[in-house]
Amino acid sequence: MFPIGSLRSGFLAGALGLCLLAAACGGNTTGSSSPSSGSTSLGGKTIALVGYGSANPWGAYFNKVFTERLAPTGVKISDMTTMDPGTQVQKFNQAVAQKPDLIVLSILDTQAMAVPIKKAASAGVPVLVFDGPTDPSVAGQVMSVLSDNVKLGEYAAQNIIEGLRAQGRTSAKIIVLTGTKSMLVTQDRMKGFERVMATAPEYQVIEEQDANWDPKLSGDIAQQLLAKHGRDGVQAAYGMADYMALPIIQAAKQAGFPIGGKDGLIVTSSNCFKAGIDSIKAGELYGTATEDPGTIAAQTADYVVRYLTGKKPPRSEMVQEERVTAATVGQFAEQCGHA
Amino acid sequence: MRTRNGSVGAAESPVTRDSGDAAGRDQRPGSPGDRYLGIGLAVALLALAVLAVTTHRFLSLDNARAILASAAFVGIAAIGATPVMIAGSAVSLATSQTATVVAMLFLATQQLGLWTALLIAVAAGVALTGAQGAIIGFWGSNPIVLTIAAGFAIGGAATWFSGGTPVNPAARGFDVLNSAPLGLPLAVYVLLVTTAVAQWSLRRTTAGRQMYLIGENRAAARAAGLPVGRVTVLAWAFFGACVSLTGVFLAAFNTSATVTLGGTLTLDAIAAVLVGGTAIAGGRGSAVRTLGGALLIAAISDVLLLRGYSTGAQILVKGLLVLVVVIAVHVRTTRGQR
Repeated sequence: MFPIGSLRSGFLAGALGLCLLAAACGGNTTGSSSPSSGSTSLGGKTIALVGYGSANPWGAYFNKVFTERLAPTGVKISDMTTMDPGTQVQKFNQAVAQKPDLIVLSILDTQAMAVPIKKAASAGVPVLVFDGPTDPSVAGQVMSVLSDNVKLGEYAAQNIIEGLRAQGRTSAKIIVLTGTKSMLVTQDRMKGFERVMATAPEYQVIEEQDANWDPKLSGDIAQQLLAKHGRDGVQAAYGMADYMALPIIQAAKQAGFPIGGKDGLIVTSSNCFKAGIDSIKAGELYGTATEDPGTIAAQTADYVVRYLTGKKPPRSEMVQEERVTAATVGQFAEQCGHA
Repeated sequence: MRTRNGSVGAAESPVTRDSGDAAGRDQRPGSPGDRYLGIGLAVALLALAVLAVTTHRFLSLDNARAILASAAFVGIAAIGATPVMIAGSAVSLATSQTATVVAMLFLATQQLGLWTALLIAVAAGVALTGAQGAIIGFWGSNPIVLTIAAGFAIGGAATWFSGGTPVNPAARGFDVLNSAPLGLPLAVYVLLVTTAVAQWSLRRTTAGRQMYLIGENRAAARAAGLPVGRVTVLAWAFFGACVSLTGVFLAAFNTSATVTLGGTLTLDAIAAVLVGGTAIAGGRGSAVRTLGGALLIAAISDVLLLRGYSTGAQILVKGLLVLVVVIAVHVRTTRGQR
């Protein structure tokens, strides 16, 4: 029998060995050494992808599509993705020091990233921002492929108004669970939402709570708000993402609220995931909107190719967003079904 | 027996002392400090009660149901964490990652049927957490360091195997877990049953009583021949089962699972145990107190929400509450040892 000390040493050595083996075998590098024939060759070019980490389902599918789209070109992609705002600043600074041909960035903290972007501009490293916008002070120093968050908010309001009017309601009260309020993405969606809701003054937003893009927190807040206002006090709810709207539906069902239909709670979201699509098909979630990672990844990859081949694309491009309801769900089920 | 502050206390045998009666040990003749502490806590609770009853719609059946429902997921995990803390293993910092992996497994195996999926999920949670308990109990590993590492490993493995994409179920058998018999979510009943089982086990079983003794002084318990390793594994295995139940309910509630599903469960569960008055150094506490802690946090969050305070304010108050209770428990514990 081995003494305990030997066991510990053996365990540690084994763990270290496994880590090294995993690192050696599992190097899922995001580049491609050779371009496929017939495609644009970007061999020798380098990109630093300072994007959302793959722990986030949206980021995971974006990264997959983005790298797959660029693989045939031979461009080398350094994976510097993360979901931590502080780490993102560090990784961005590392990327600037490496002087790649392009940094592709999705911003986690708008204000914290303003100074690093200025540094990149001073160092002559071009930056392409995708999904959410930069701080306005540095907007002129980056290229961008942006989600149309104002439009996503407008679609959410349209879903609610359409659903309530279909029920014949001449007045209604609405609760809103937002993403992190300090993010421009959230603020832009609320701008669009409020703009369209203002066209239907008979429907009133009575609560707006920051649920921090957190499904569990969304469920907790929904339970309490539904209890606060009661079955007659809330007729519609907006959860900013599908994974926030679905907990609202579960909370409402447990509290005895009918969902959808002729007199149930109208619940909408504003960016789609497979679970949301399934819920629309089941007649529970009234509607959502696209902002799917696959579409923006494809457009961002296309922009990268145009930029690196000297085609001078416009400084900023907006991704076309679409509204998804029961009437159009079949059209967008595949597009929204990957995350 | 050597006490936690290093002094040598009364010569009592850890195997003969009724450690399960933690409440009994707390009933020492009150010093003036204890009385002030008790008065302070009573005033704080009274202030909270006044704030609550003067809050519009707080005293309604719907709101009581909402408080219970919002306490259920965290409460189940916190009940599981109570024996771990009582047995002197401090806390697990891998709770949310474990719940997430269990949730993913539960949804990924729905096509096998609800009960099979449930069994697989709970077995996985017990195995993952029990293994950590074995390393802590038999090898004396630091639980904080170990569970940080375990959290990274479990979370990393989940991201690796899922590719970061959500796990969506192939069947909807889990819907039954979202039901609300007699108007209360099923998770609330599970919370109450889990509390009763944990309380009974801590007070009425040999292993439960040994958890108090081990938490009071691990070295002395080991010297006295108590099965420290086995009892620690039992505490962690029970914790694993509770975390699994939380993961299963989270999965059913959200209808899909991503690697971030667990959210702030780790710190929320720790907060509930601490607010319940369980000593983080071990040897003191109960499942019923933890239930009280979970309900108190849920009630305070509810009052703040009903009064229109933001999510940030709720988190701030929760943090302050944990701080105050931890200080109060620490003061009371160290005073008792002087």
